[in-house]
Amino acid sequence: MFWFCRTAVKGPYRVQKGNDMSETVAAGPAVSIRSMSKWYGDFQVLKNINLTVKFGERVVICGPSGSGKSTLIRCLNRLEVHQDGDIVVNGVELTMDMKKVEAVRREVGMVFQSFNLFPHLTVLQNCVLAQRRALKRSKQEATEVAMRFLTQVRIPEQRDKFPGQLSGGQQQRVAIARALCLEPKIMLFDEPTSALDPEMVNEVLDTMVGMAKTGMTMLCVTHEMGFARQVADRVIFMDAGQIVEQNDPESFFTNPQHERTKAFLGQIL
Amino acid sequence: MFDFRFYEIWREPEYIDRLLHGCLVSIELSTAGGILGMILGLVLVSAQGKSSPKLLSGFAQGYIETVRNTPFIVQLFFVAFGLPQLLHYRWSFEASALLAMTLNFSAYFAEVVRAGISSIPTGQIEAAGSLCLTKRQIFLDIVLPQALCNVYPSLTSQFVFLFLTTGLISEIGVEDLTWAGRFVADRNFRDFEVFIVLTVLYVAIVFGYKAIFNALNRYAFPWRSIR
Repeated sequence: MFWFCRTAVKGPYRVQKGNDMSETVAAGPAVSIRSMSKWYGDFQVLKNINLTVKFGERVVICGPSGSGKSTLIRCLNRLEVHQDGDIVVNGVELTMDMKKVEAVRREVGMVFQSFNLFPHLTVLQNCVLAQRRALKRSKQEATEVAMRFLTQVRIPEQRDKFPGQLSGGQQQRVAIARALCLEPKIMLFDEPTSALDPEMVNEVLDTMVGMAKTGMTMLCVTHEMGFARQVADRVIFMDAGQIVEQNDPESFFTNPQHERTKAFLGQIL
Repeated sequence: MFDFRFYEIWREPEYIDRLLHGCLVSIELSTAGGILGMILGLVLVSAQGKSSPKLLSGFAQGYIETVRNTPFIVQLFFVAFGLPQLLHYRWSFEASALLAMTLNFSAYFAEVVRAGISSIPTGQIEAAGSLCLTKRQIFLDIVLPQALCNVYPSLTSQFVFLFLTTGLISEIGVEDLTWAGRFVADRNFRDFEVFIVLTVLYVAIVFGYKAIFNALNRYAFPWRSIR
């Protein structure tokens, strides 16, 4: 089931696992957030967030800008530091301990709104670098893995180009491949299609749908409601730093409970 | 009408020898000073990193400010005459000149690169962090190459400026190009012609440096042209 995100050849650094799915499920939820709060100075961006995401679950987070949805998923790999409550990702609690942060980041991939590819590295080098540094893979193995995921996102032929030579959609697909190269268990998407031309949105969404089919745990901040309907197990609506409502997509879109959700959906649908 | 007498310079083989030797000394010292200054400059940049100890980064900052806010000739005299008195040890004028140029260039280099580093968008650092790179790896693999690319034009002009300041090292008796020019002019009294020749030589050497820098630019930053 995990052929998409697991390498065939594993180095000595990785523990060989028989069945990832059963073991990880047994180990507890992918993400568990308990009464977490975060402030920027005096301004409270996240207020008492409680959220549990199971392995294999696909969660879409939506809400107006400034509602804290990006901040929330950035807390999950400690790009942002929370001040109160706890966050446990893949069984590891996020604290100031950099060892734990690295352990979490090794299992959590992230895709950004502005791609954030490294402009000084070719497409292939972008995918190889972290494998070499973080997983200490050999150059040959890293290249093989990178090519596998570049093929997966359907741009293997662009391997020797620099990001600046690619279209936005292609860049975002490389960014997805780059994150997958570390073979994460959880993928975070921070508005992956918001910076794209309308024509290119679909090629990126298709890639994400393909990933969802492999059983990847996904947390996705997006306003692509079609995507949410198609792949999400759960849609979360946030406003003013709080989770206002969460439900399966069908109920969420057809029968929203809160006035704020209704107003928001009325605006965007 | 002024009587141009350039042949007063190339009539004497010794004059030509002195001038060519001066060119070589200037090129050698500025190249060596540039490379050593670059290395020391990178050390200074690293010392100012967010995670380096306060004392170290304070020292680096103080050093950079001191060097950038004093005249080169004062630094040169300090190294050539001040330090030997303190240490009771005398070294050659060339060594003094090289040391002064290295110290001087390192401070300017560090300051320019620091500006380049702050020009790197935080998204790059976040992406690298999310890929589980350590702070050190982020600096060396992601931030520094892009920063050097961004400030490369300023760095080259800073280096050209370093090469031109070699003119000052003739003050402590290093036989550089300016020294050679004065040597010739003092003997044939054709100051105008001599300094015209010096001007042409300096410009020619700087053009040579620029050609090298352009080639180096294409080789070191292949991604630049297509951004």
